[in-house]
Amino acid sequence: MKVSAENIHLSYGAREILKGVSIESSGHSFVGLIGPNGSGKSTLLKCIYRILKPDAGQVFLDDQELLSMSVRSSARKMAVVAQHNYYNFDFRVREVVLMGRAPHKKALERDNAEDYRIADEALKTVGMLEFADRSFSTLSGGEQQRVILARALAQQTPCLILDEPTNHLDVTHQLQLLKIVKNLDVTVISAFHDLNIAAMFCDRIYVLQKGEIVGCGTPEEVLTPELIRKIYNVEAEIAHDSSGQLHVLFRA
Amino acid sequence: MKEKKIKTSVYGAVIILLLAGLVFSILASITFGNADISIKEVYSVIFYELFHIDSLSAYASGAVHDVVWLIRFPRILLALAVGMGLSVCGVVMQALVKNPLADPYVLGVSSGAYLGAALAIVLGIDSFLGDNAVGVLAFAGALLASFSVLGISSIGGRSNAGKLILAGMAISSVCSAFANFLIYMAQDKNATSEITFWSMGSLASAEWDNIAVFLPLMLLICAIFWTQSRSLNLMLLGDDTAITLGTDLRRTRIVYMTLAALLVGFAVCAAGMIGFVGLIIPHAVRMIFGTEHRRLIPLSALVGAIFLIWADVACRVILPNAELPIGILVSLIGAPCFIYLMARKSYGFGGEQS
Repeated sequence: MKVSAENIHLSYGAREILKGVSIESSGHSFVGLIGPNGSGKSTLLKCIYRILKPDAGQVFLDDQELLSMSVRSSARKMAVVAQHNYYNFDFRVREVVLMGRAPHKKALERDNAEDYRIADEALKTVGMLEFADRSFSTLSGGEQQRVILARALAQQTPCLILDEPTNHLDVTHQLQLLKIVKNLDVTVISAFHDLNIAAMFCDRIYVLQKGEIVGCGTPEEVLTPELIRKIYNVEAEIAHDSSGQLHVLFRA
Repeated sequence: MKEKKIKTSVYGAVIILLLAGLVFSILASITFGNADISIKEVYSVIFYELFHIDSLSAYASGAVHDVVWLIRFPRILLALAVGMGLSVCGVVMQALVKNPLADPYVLGVSSGAYLGAALAIVLGIDSFLGDNAVGVLAFAGALLASFSVLGISSIGGRSNAGKLILAGMAISSVCSAFANFLIYMAQDKNATSEITFWSMGSLASAEWDNIAVFLPLMLLICAIFWTQSRSLNLMLLGDDTAITLGTDLRRTRIVYMTLAALLVGFAVCAAGMIGFVGLIIPHAVRMIFGTEHRRLIPLSALVGAIFLIWADVACRVILPNAELPIGILVSLIGAPCFIYLMARKSYGFGGEQS
């Protein structure tokens, strides 16, 4: 599956948030989006998952224009795990995951045994099956995000968008969640705050600054002291650990 | 998945129990009242009316027949319909504004109805619109208030839960101010007492004529909402999440709001203002069975119906030779229950985090 955003423009009033941004991800690749706060990462992702409508530019899912598709059919192609969700009302974990089946259901159709099987399968993938009958609101932040991921998996989409899903999670849960995603056979676009985490999981990284793409490539190509200085205004050193994994070390 | 089966069967058993409870409530509550009628006489009348058994034809007319068949029975059915309607309406309103504190009376609907009733009483247009002018205008007021709330909340972009509540408050204030202005200017003691009485709610106006319209309508709207369980569930996750799950709720919200306003309008028209039912019943049911709407709606409907039937019985029995307005009784029961439920379990309230 190929997801691409082409020449996206978006302004809030006089403030131009996105100034003609194009990104794409296809096949089994994990594409990251980095950039400082306010650079437009989340706004761009929201244009891709239909919460915001770009002023100009288009989003394509497998060469089909996003806005020409029904909301239902785009939800069958693309699932989203957004920043941590808080819910007022008490749902059971399994009920939350079953909501992921909504785009596959007709108006009056009820959840059948197959939907339950898919939901339980998704819970198993994220290691939360034993929590299926627990109340969602009693879970910890990391557990809740895994359940939300399971809901996205229950949508059975070929594409997954992650909008800083690990923001409030500790390092254990960040790695755990992203490892699960990395092992899925789907196209991923994800926003990241943590450059090291991005380096660890991304096949390709786009760098956003002030609504423009200022860099693109593999983590090795993109994460250089020069670029980090330019966009974050921070001195950094690039090191490789014994496994060859790239690490960004910051200097005060 | 043995566990799941057990859960489903528990739910089924509860539904059957509640249905049995409802039938029992109808049959038992009909024997209560101020008129001194024996239980045997009551059932003789009902059996005669239902099955037209010749041996009971002595009960085909007369005072006992009239009290049981023309006064008590329709009244119980009205209690059933209003209780069911208000509970389901509460469930839907809470989903609409994503706030467990919402009820049919929060979104300006009650004040609209109050204004309508005040207009009818103060301007004395009873003769023009027939007997139930107060009810008719209250109904119109409720609908008008709901649509104003919807309209105002969608000014300058799409409507959302927060805007709905604020618009509801604004419309509420305007309507009650106008209503009070009318009452104040009229300086009419009769009108004032009439509207006070109306605002306390009563099921005494029940007749077969209005029940025949009202009960099927309530059942129909509740059934429609039941088929919408999935969208109602998604509504609680928020509009953005709903879009990523393939449902655009903007238009749906307007449709639900209209249906809910219809429900409240009819309830207000038939029984005056009865608060708290839409708040307390869904709350209680949710605490035991969770928020999933496919279960919540039928359970709330049944519990609400049973609750209001017995509340009405209490109203008829508590004061000797007089009736307690049901709105007062329900608030007296409802408020402490509500406080208890709040204190017992930490409950998420809208606006805390979202």
